[in-house]
Amino acid sequence: MTDALLEQILNGLMMGSIYVLVALGMVLIYGVMHVVNFAHGVLFTAGGYLAHFFYTRVLDSYPLAIVLSMVSLALIGIAIERGVFRPLSGNLRNQVIASLGLILAIENLLVALWGPNALQFRVPTTETMVSVGELRFSVHHLGIIVITLAMVALLGVFLKFTRFGTAIRATSQSREAAMVVGIPVKRVHWSTFAIGTMLAALGGALIGPLFLVFPQMGDVPLIKGLAGILLGGMGSVPGAVAGGMIIGVVESVSTLFLPTDYRDSIAFMVMVAILLVRPQGLFGVRMRGED
Amino acid sequence: MPRALTATLLLALLVLLYAMPRIAAGEPYALHVLVLCFVYAVPAVGLNLMLGYTGLVSLGHMAFAGIGAYAAAVMMVDAKIGFWAALALATLASGAAGAAIGLVCLRFRSHFFMIVTLALGLVLHSVMNNWDDVTRGAAGLGGVPRPAPIELAGERYSFGPLANFYYLALTAAVLVFALQRLVVRSDVGRILSAIRQDERLARARGVNALLYKTAVFALGSAIAGFGGVLQVSFLRVAAPASFNLAESINSVLIVIVGGAGSLAGPALGALLFVALPEYLRVASEWRLVIFGVMLVAITLFAPRGLAGLAADLVRRIAGKTPQERA
Repeated sequence: MTDALLEQILNGLMMGSIYVLVALGMVLIYGVMHVVNFAHGVLFTAGGYLAHFFYTRVLDSYPLAIVLSMVSLALIGIAIERGVFRPLSGNLRNQVIASLGLILAIENLLVALWGPNALQFRVPTTETMVSVGELRFSVHHLGIIVITLAMVALLGVFLKFTRFGTAIRATSQSREAAMVVGIPVKRVHWSTFAIGTMLAALGGALIGPLFLVFPQMGDVPLIKGLAGILLGGMGSVPGAVAGGMIIGVVESVSTLFLPTDYRDSIAFMVMVAILLVRPQGLFGVRMRGED
Repeated sequence: MPRALTATLLLALLVLLYAMPRIAAGEPYALHVLVLCFVYAVPAVGLNLMLGYTGLVSLGHMAFAGIGAYAAAVMMVDAKIGFWAALALATLASGAAGAAIGLVCLRFRSHFFMIVTLALGLVLHSVMNNWDDVTRGAAGLGGVPRPAPIELAGERYSFGPLANFYYLALTAAVLVFALQRLVVRSDVGRILSAIRQDERLARARGVNALLYKTAVFALGSAIAGFGGVLQVSFLRVAAPASFNLAESINSVLIVIVGGAGSLAGPALGALLFVALPEYLRVASEWRLVIFGVMLVAITLFAPRGLAGLAADLVRRIAGKTPQERA
C-alpha cells in the first residue's frame, strides 16, 4: 500500500509539474494583460510537436531540441501578442474569441502537418530506470520534477531581484502607474507572453516522451493549469505553483480509491465549488480586474 | 434597406428554400448539406442570443445541445417514446438544465464565467462519454429512429426520404429564427442588449440582470437542445464527439463569423461553415485552419461579422456612407 501510495505521489508530482509549467505562463500573462489565454493549451501541444521535430529530424540531442522548441514558441508567442492580443487589448470578449480562433488554427495546422495520429517520442531518459526500494521509475519522471522546480526558482529570482522582473510585477499591479514611472509597458507585455509560451513549450516537450505527442495533448494541461491558478488565487505566482502541484498529487492519489473515468470531472467540479465558496483561492490572494 | 424590400427578399428566400427538394431533385447531396447547415444553425441561434445579444461568452454551448440530444435518444430508443413527445421533453430538459447550470455560472463574471462554462461543458461531455449504462459511452447511442410518419391532408407523410426530412429541418430552423426575431425585437431583447452594453447601468435602472441572464441562458440551452434532437434524428446516432469542446468552439465560430448580434448571423455562419468547404473540397484540417484564421481576422477587422459586412455593402450600393458602429 505504501509503495503504491508513494508511486502515485511521485506520479502526481510529475503531472503537477506539467500543470505548474502551464499555470505559470497563464498566470503571468493574466497578471500583466488581464486576459486568460485559452490558446495556451495548443501552444503546449505545439511545443511538444516542435521538440519531437527537432529531435527526430534536425539534431540528436533531446535537451537541445527542448531549447529550440522553447525558443520557437517564444517567437510565436511574441507574434501572437503583437498580432492578436495587443490590437484587441481592452476588449476581453474579442480577445477570448480570438484565442478560440488560435486554438482552431494551430491545432489543425499541427494535424495537417503531422497527421491526426499520436507520434512516438523515444528519448534515452524514459528508458533509464532508477529504483528506490521496491519502486522503479524512469529518470524522466525525476527530470520533469527537477526541471520544473528549477524553472520556478529561476522565475522567482527573476521576478523578485531583476530590474525587468520588477517591471513585470509593477505592470501587473497597475499598468497606468507603471507607464507613469517610465516602464516600457509594451515590452513588458510581449516579453511576458514570450516567457509564458516558452514555459508551455517546455511542458509539452517534457511530457511528449511519456504520453506520446498528439493534437489534443494540451487540452487537459490547459484545464488543469486553469484549475491550479484558481485554486491558488487568480493572479498569484506562488499560488499557481502550489495549486498545480496540489491538483497533480490529489488526482494521482485519488486513482487508488476512485474510478478513473470521472477523475477530470471531479477536478473541474471541485474547481467550480472552490470558486463559489472561496473565490480568492485557497491562499487568500485578492482577485484583480474583476468586479 | 427599406422594410418592404427586406420582407420581399426574405419571402423569396423562403420560397426558394421550400422549393429546393424540387429544384435539386437529382442532387440528394446538396439537400444533405443543407440539412447539416440547419442542424448547425439552430444551436448557433441559441448562442447568438447569449453571446451576440447579451454578451455571455459560453464556452460549453454544445454540451447543452448534447443534453437534449441524449435525452431524446434515450427516450426514443429505450423508452420507445415517439419523436414529437421526445422533442418537446428533451427541449424542456435542456432548458431546465440550462437554467440550473446557468444560475451557477452566472454568479461569475468575465473570465470566471467563461472558465466555469468551459469546465461544466467538459464535465457534461465526460458524462456522455463515460456513463455507459445510459449513453452507451464513446461508441455512441445508435438506432435513433426518424420521426414516425404523420397524416397530412389525408396523406401519409414519412420522414424517411431525405427530401421529407429536409422539410422538417427547414421548418425547425425557420421557427427558431422566427423565435429569435421575436425575442430580440421585444422589450426583453432590448433589456438583454442593455445588459451587454453596460450591466451596471442596466441594474441601476432597475433591471434584474441575473433574472434576465438566467432566462436567456435557459432559452439558449433549450434552443441548443432542440437542435441536438434534430441532429440525432438526422444522423440516427447520438455521439459524444458531437458535443465536445471543439464543437462548442465551432458554435462560437459560426456566431462570430456570421455576425454576433445579428438576426441572420447564425444562418450565414452555418452556411459558410458547412457548405463552403463541401463546395471547395478542401481537406478538413486545412478547412479548420482557415476558419481559425478567419475567426481571428473577424475579431480584428470586422467585429460585426459577415452580416455586418453585408449591411455595409448594401449601404454603399444604396449610396450612403457606411456608418461605423463601435
